[in-house]
Amino acid sequence: MSFIHLHVATAFSAHYGVSWPDELAAAAAADGADALACTDRDGLYGTVKHLKACMDAKIDPIVGVDLAVLEYDDVASAGAQGLVGQATAGQAATGASIPNNTRGVLREHGRVVVLARGGNGGAGYRALCRLISDAHAHGGPRAIVGVTLEQLASRSLDPSTAQPVLTTLLGPSSDVGRAMGGQRYLLPRRLMQKWCAVMPAGTLVAELVSHLSAPGQELSTASAVRMFRLAQEQGLPSVLSNAVRYCSQDGAATADVLDSARTLEPLCALSGSVASLRKGSSKGNRNSGSGARERLQPNGQGWLKSSEQMYAVGQEIMHAAGEGRAGLGRLIANTEELADRCRIDPVTDMGWKQPTVPEATVLGIEQEPFMELRQRCEAGINWRFPGVSGAAERVVRARLEHELGIISRLGFSAYFLTVSEVSRMITDLGIRSAARGSGASSLVNYLIGISAVDPIRHDLIFERFLSNDRSTLPDIDIDVESAERHNIYHRIFERFGPQRVTLMSMQNGYRARGAVRDAGLALGMAEGDIDAVAKQLWRFSARNFREALEEKPELREFADRVEQGHLHPEAQLDLLVDLTERLDRLPRHISMHPCGVILGDATLLDRTPVQPSGLDLPMSQFDKHDMDPMGMLKLDVLGVRMQSAMAYAVREVIRLHPSKAAVVAAGNHPVDEHGDGPDYIDEDGRIDLNQVPLDDEPTYELIRSTYTLGCFQIESPGQRELIGKMAPRDFNDLIIDISLFRPGPMKSNMVKPFLESRHGFATEVYPHPRLKAALAETHGVTVFHEQVLRVFDEMTGCGLAKADVFRRALGNETQEPMVEAYFRRTAKGRGFPLDVIDQVWETLKAFGSFGFCKAHGAAFAVPTYQSAWLKAHHPEAFLAGLWEHDPGMYPRRLLVAEARRMGIPILPVDINHSTGEYRVERVTTGLDAGPDAGSDAGKLGIRMSLAGIYGLSAAELKRLVAGQPYDSLADVRARAKPTRATLKRLAQLGAFDALHRMVKERDGVQGSRADLVAHLQALPARSGARKNDPIDGQLSLPLGDLELRNLRGNLPEPSVTEKVRTELDLLSLDVSGHLMDSYAPLLAELGVTRADQLLGLRSNTEVLVAGVRIATQTPPMRGGRRVVFISIDDGTGCIDATFFHEAQERSGPLLFGTRMLLIRGLTRRTGPRGISLQALEAWDLSTVNHSNAANQLNVVNHSNLEGSPIPRRTISATPEEKSITVVGSAPQSPESTTPSTSWSSRSLISHP
Amino acid sequence: MGVFSEGVEVHCSLGGEPLNLRWSGRDYVLAAESVRWFERRDWWAQENRAEVGRGAGLVDSEIWRVQAQADGVGPLLTFELSKHCGSGRWRILRLYDALSHSA
Repeated sequence: MSFIHLHVATAFSAHYGVSWPDELAAAAAADGADALACTDRDGLYGTVKHLKACMDAKIDPIVGVDLAVLEYDDVASAGAQGLVGQATAGQAATGASIPNNTRGVLREHGRVVVLARGGNGGAGYRALCRLISDAHAHGGPRAIVGVTLEQLASRSLDPSTAQPVLTTLLGPSSDVGRAMGGQRYLLPRRLMQKWCAVMPAGTLVAELVSHLSAPGQELSTASAVRMFRLAQEQGLPSVLSNAVRYCSQDGAATADVLDSARTLEPLCALSGSVASLRKGSSKGNRNSGSGARERLQPNGQGWLKSSEQMYAVGQEIMHAAGEGRAGLGRLIANTEELADRCRIDPVTDMGWKQPTVPEATVLGIEQEPFMELRQRCEAGINWRFPGVSGAAERVVRARLEHELGIISRLGFSAYFLTVSEVSRMITDLGIRSAARGSGASSLVNYLIGISAVDPIRHDLIFERFLSNDRSTLPDIDIDVESAERHNIYHRIFERFGPQRVTLMSMQNGYRARGAVRDAGLALGMAEGDIDAVAKQLWRFSARNFREALEEKPELREFADRVEQGHLHPEAQLDLLVDLTERLDRLPRHISMHPCGVILGDATLLDRTPVQPSGLDLPMSQFDKHDMDPMGMLKLDVLGVRMQSAMAYAVREVIRLHPSKAAVVAAGNHPVDEHGDGPDYIDEDGRIDLNQVPLDDEPTYELIRSTYTLGCFQIESPGQRELIGKMAPRDFNDLIIDISLFRPGPMKSNMVKPFLESRHGFATEVYPHPRLKAALAETHGVTVFHEQVLRVFDEMTGCGLAKADVFRRALGNETQEPMVEAYFRRTAKGRGFPLDVIDQVWETLKAFGSFGFCKAHGAAFAVPTYQSAWLKAHHPEAFLAGLWEHDPGMYPRRLLVAEARRMGIPILPVDINHSTGEYRVERVTTGLDAGPDAGSDAGKLGIRMSLAGIYGLSAAELKRLVAGQPYDSLADVRARAKPTRATLKRLAQLGAFDALHRMVKERDGVQGSRADLVAHLQALPARSGARKNDPIDGQLSLPLGDLELRNLRGNLPEPSVTEKVRTELDLLSLDVSGHLMDSYAPLLAELGVTRADQLLGLRSNTEVLVAGVRIATQTPPMRGGRRVVFISIDDGTGCIDATFFHEAQERSGPLLFGTRMLLIRGLTRRTGPRGISLQALEAWDLSTVNHSNAANQLNVVNHSNLEGSPIPRRTISATPEEKSITVVGSAPQSPESTTPSTSWSSRSLISHP
Repeated sequence: MGVFSEGVEVHCSLGGEPLNLRWSGRDYVLAAESVRWFERRDWWAQENRAEVGRGAGLVDSEIWRVQAQADGVGPLLTFELSKHCGSGRWRILRLYDALSHSA
């Protein structure tokens, strides 16, 4: 006895299905079924996972979809029901919400399951893909999803053979099934007759479902019986299903919560025996097309029932229908027959793992692709290695032959040509791009211009990218300027044709915050309460919520409330925790992947359904995990803001220094004996960043100084600490640095031994002399994938391709033991002693799959170097680029502080000088300069952009810039026509100060910025009527600025503190001074140490520091205990504080919520230029009151220790905490162990 | 008709179908074909926990409508019984015509 389920939603039916495809397939197989369907709602979101799960479970996949059926309703009746405007025919084309006069409004009329027939060379699957794409083509991303009966009917037959290729299951959710309720007899019959009339013969069956609900309810046995009788009457076969939403009974409650999340209604509103119609619900409905019947399932019987249980259900229906055992036999036979017709062969029906790339003709290639590739590579040798000869040339040619051999055998030539074509297209558009990832390992990629890294020079292994043992399409990622990404997408669609290109999608699953919000909604909790909980959740998965409650200090208060909830029956916090865990990871929706573009041949849209994306381009329903199985070529075109920032900086350099000589002088670039600048600077001043040699000493000096804020990849607190310790000298050091700063190396403690060997504190140790060649560049420490490959190869002689297969098997439970056995056996055979084998295996095992591919590191290091180069030579242009494109991990205001630290003048918003961009400007001494421009005169400064002003619209910005320059306030008002609020904000920010100063100088009048703001505030809301405006072309009298001249000087100029506050409010930047400046008296009273003073202190000095939070990180840590890094900025630099467990306990909810922090901690010297803070405790600076700060601090401290004051001196780092540092602890010098008394806790306590 | 929620002892066949019940000190024998269905519970209001892996019985309760006679001879009463899917305990939900017969 076995039963095949034909109607199963997986978790990939967002806000509907509960169970994952592999759970379902395993359960079906365990029950003896030899096939299982996956019929997700609205798409094939889980289909590829289902295929894989079925292949793993050794059963046949069946593929289908659960779709809404749409009908054009009569406009008048739809209007009467208040449903006008859901989606209308022709809406997409016209953008109008007026219904098409001939067809009416599209409305949902039930849902049906559609299965693809298999074993027909993909005809069924093809029709299914096209049908689903049809369903999503009724307008933009928010339009109704579904197909009309006509669309369904026309896709059901293959266009070429006219054979049935789809089968539609008419079940309880169809219009027929829904019409069964009540005592209506005519309506269901009429609807059924309509289906039979429209659908081609042999493409329609009735689906009987009984969830054994109460008689008269939906999904009751009685309804199934009525469906059976109607089908019999019309001569339709009936099949049995269970309309599955969850794998086991336990999932029923999760399905309830998902129903609540989908409909945005609490559970209590969705239950009850009377269907609560909520037409025009104010909250809207996530599934806008689903009609008004949303309520909870009648009971929890929708699980993947066993065959025995399904036979019992079938028996109950047939018994109630008055049919004997023969009736059940027919029902089961029909079900099996349909299942057999729909068994999908992954290979012949869906093209499983068969790579497909654009046709050669599209690429403009006449000859065989491999010949073309070879010719281009030959040409590339002269370009990339000009004048190469002798041994060097032999190395290049041997490598090229090796790579071409593998590419040819795998038949991937067209793939490389395709990527090269895209790459060339981007370059031709004048857009910066850089290949990243393992693609940098390939000489072919280097020669045909895809990658900029020479794999021979950096010793990169091709097999890490592609080998005979790795037949999936390789990944090549291209980083481009983020601002140009969408433009590039459109060009790719144009170049290859819309039938060959689609965007890739990604699944967005529930994380803790979203899960707790939706769980709270389901329970009907007050929004404010849910918010308060959600805000405290910080990067842990929802499934560990209960565990987190016990461990995490910031959740302590909430945990107490959960505990007390048992005493107050109305509190549902315990349930909230359980429901949150139930939602963990479940997919919520798909969205456009941030970078994936799928390229295929003309059949691409036969192989993936597409739907609208947020962009004006279609998006595949498949995500990145589906690419390899479906043989799809995915190109990652990644928008990198740093690339935009660098491109911007280069343009600013040209604008300011429009000749080679000027750029050389400004950037202090090297000159040859004739005084000529380097080749990478064009005569017009354009810098070709990609041609800048990688050995520029000032750049490495900047990197070693650790003042790397804003530099790609090396600006985080942890990286700055590592750089301080490592002191990189050349490009290879940068590659190593980037590769070390990864979870893998940090977890397996590679960093400390590496640094110790590098600095000569320890001698390099190699497990065996024969491994020295592989490990020498990192002093015996395994850092790179490439080294693992070489070690495998050296010790087992397996070859690099096999070695990469072994590397992938590391960390895999089933494969790793086999690799270990092979490794031990062959290494022994090749003469390695047992202890060496043990030692090396431990290293390899620990390395797992975590280590870093050197090719990635090399590709990453290029923009890292380039950004540091720009910061070293053209800091003003570089910072302007950073502000314009905001690429980094820090808020803009920190980079303002960095500019201040570097002595770069920050020029305030000015009505005549500010534009829509952050521009570099030479500071002048004229009247229009700032009041204190004197000392900065002649320097390059950065002018604040108008674009950053709060509330300023794009149209206003355009008008303001177009009208420049202005000679008076009236002029601004007349020509730029800003709103009153904008005018006032401009005045508050001092944008009119320069105009004002000129008037004051000339006419000797008084008046402050505050007076001007007050004046603008007092003006009537509407100025005079339009008729008083000067007509175009009429010149106004040159009266000067009467308005400014007539201002009376009543109010004092705002203080710097007030100005800073205004700037923070309106620009989110503190331009006039640092945010912390206003705290100076308080900080002085407390004896707070400044960031720039820290470096002068000994290690282990106890200090108080204060600043604005700029970054919070909780990186993965060796030892498993969470460590929180908080970086603060106090105006003199960054302070990076590390909070270990105890400090987290003491600081509690302050850890994540507070902006202004006061931190007590111990200094930790991390290298010659590095010092960080091990935090002991933190307070909210803004609540520390000025007058009795010290006392407050004392009280806060004690209350946080829960009434058991511990003398502060005993609070010191435990040995465990000392050993876990970001990147391994640096050796401590002996004199640093005595704590200094520069700041004594006693003095604070005894303060009055 | 009366609405109850009172424990009751139910004896079932091997297939899980009730055969007779013992209630208020009397034995009732089932006299006609029973009807069985599953009803949802407002579990979010009735339970303090709904942890993953709790299994059957959180959402569903099994309801039987049976007709029975006291000691096999009395008037035919219609009971609605509920069986808790987790614990297997039975309760009487409703008793039809109870008032008229008990008077």
